[in-house]
Amino acid sequence: MKLIGIALFTVFAMLAFVLNPTTTTEARSGLEIGATAESFSLPDTDGAAKSLDDLKGKKGTLVVWLSAQCPVVKGYKDRINEIAAAYQSKGIAFIGINSNATEDLNWVKSNKAEYGYNFPILIDKGNVLADKWGATVTPEVYYLDAKNVLRYHGAIDNDRNGKNITDAYLKTAFDSALSGKEIVKTSANAFGCSIKRAQKAE
Amino acid sequence: MKRCISNGTKAAATGWLFVLFLSFDTSGQTKSRPTVRTAKPVAVKKAAPPIKVTLVDEVSIRKILEPNGKPLLVNFWATWCDPCREEFPDLVKLDNEFEGKIDFITVSLDDPEEIATTVPKFLASMKAEMPAYLLKTADESAVITAISKDWQGGMPFTVLYGADGKLTYFRQGKVVLEKLRAEINKSFDNAPAQPVGDLSLHP
Repeated sequence: MKLIGIALFTVFAMLAFVLNPTTTTEARSGLEIGATAESFSLPDTDGAAKSLDDLKGKKGTLVVWLSAQCPVVKGYKDRINEIAAAYQSKGIAFIGINSNATEDLNWVKSNKAEYGYNFPILIDKGNVLADKWGATVTPEVYYLDAKNVLRYHGAIDNDRNGKNITDAYLKTAFDSALSGKEIVKTSANAFGCSIKRAQKAE
Repeated sequence: MKRCISNGTKAAATGWLFVLFLSFDTSGQTKSRPTVRTAKPVAVKKAAPPIKVTLVDEVSIRKILEPNGKPLLVNFWATWCDPCREEFPDLVKLDNEFEGKIDFITVSLDDPEEIATTVPKFLASMKAEMPAYLLKTADESAVITAISKDWQGGMPFTVLYGADGKLTYFRQGKVVLEKLRAEINKSFDNAPAQPVGDLSLHP
């Protein structure tokens, strides 16, 4: 087992070296771990403006980018609802964001009811917030602490199908934060749907 | 034979047997880049051979992505991903245009249960002849980060490596045919390319 572990480590180290260029001209931009998110105000599915400051929780806020049509989000909806139910009661507020230009308000609204989200879904028309924060995938989560400082960003867990979760990134981050411990893994990626951004006028 | 996974003579022998088996089984859709570019079917109108999709993991995909003396284009996709399906005709077009000049593979992120059903069915409907793989890994984050540190996992994702194995271009989101064609043409230049990333923030 040890040998396999060493071999795997070596392979990944080599993979990272071979495949990961030292630079790209367009580095990922957006809200960085440790940075403080500015409050934002967006309409919910009933058209009422809601701000981060209005909605934030005493123990922080989970902002999750969602999509009505994305099959990966569909695969995660029950887990999202379970996590929301478990951690809202511990003081973490949940906010859904929909930045997909291809999904109209009625679709988002009916999807919210269908999937049973018990938290607001805000409409990010023109993907302004997604651009500002650098969100590109659904589902993609940002966990802000009580002071709106970004503590965790990325995937919910390491298994889209939910059958073989071995690393529940988000829950682990929540549990660490709630118990006053350092969040060890502050970001993780997972395959998901690209956010369908609005076409920009040239 | 640097692309063969060598894990001792016994394993190598087993591997060769497996390769031999696949070469009879896969009708040109095979396991490693050097041998996949068999001649396209002669224009005899009969049913196309079934498309074989090969399962890869975080280790074996590395072998496939090793430099091979030619630029390598890799498209990560899934049948459940609308823009992935939408861009496929353009990818097939480019595959035909650059046949023999570049290697082009597709990597599906579908459920492994669909490796013999939905995935090859879609590829057949697209007349996609590039070598097709399906990635199964317990650590998607590690694979994503290894491919590009700027990739957050959104699909489709298309990445181009120069002949020396260095990443020269990537795009998260649907490819733009002309742009990708230009990037492929640029990849034939010997001059070291400055990597260009496109996270499709402004399509």
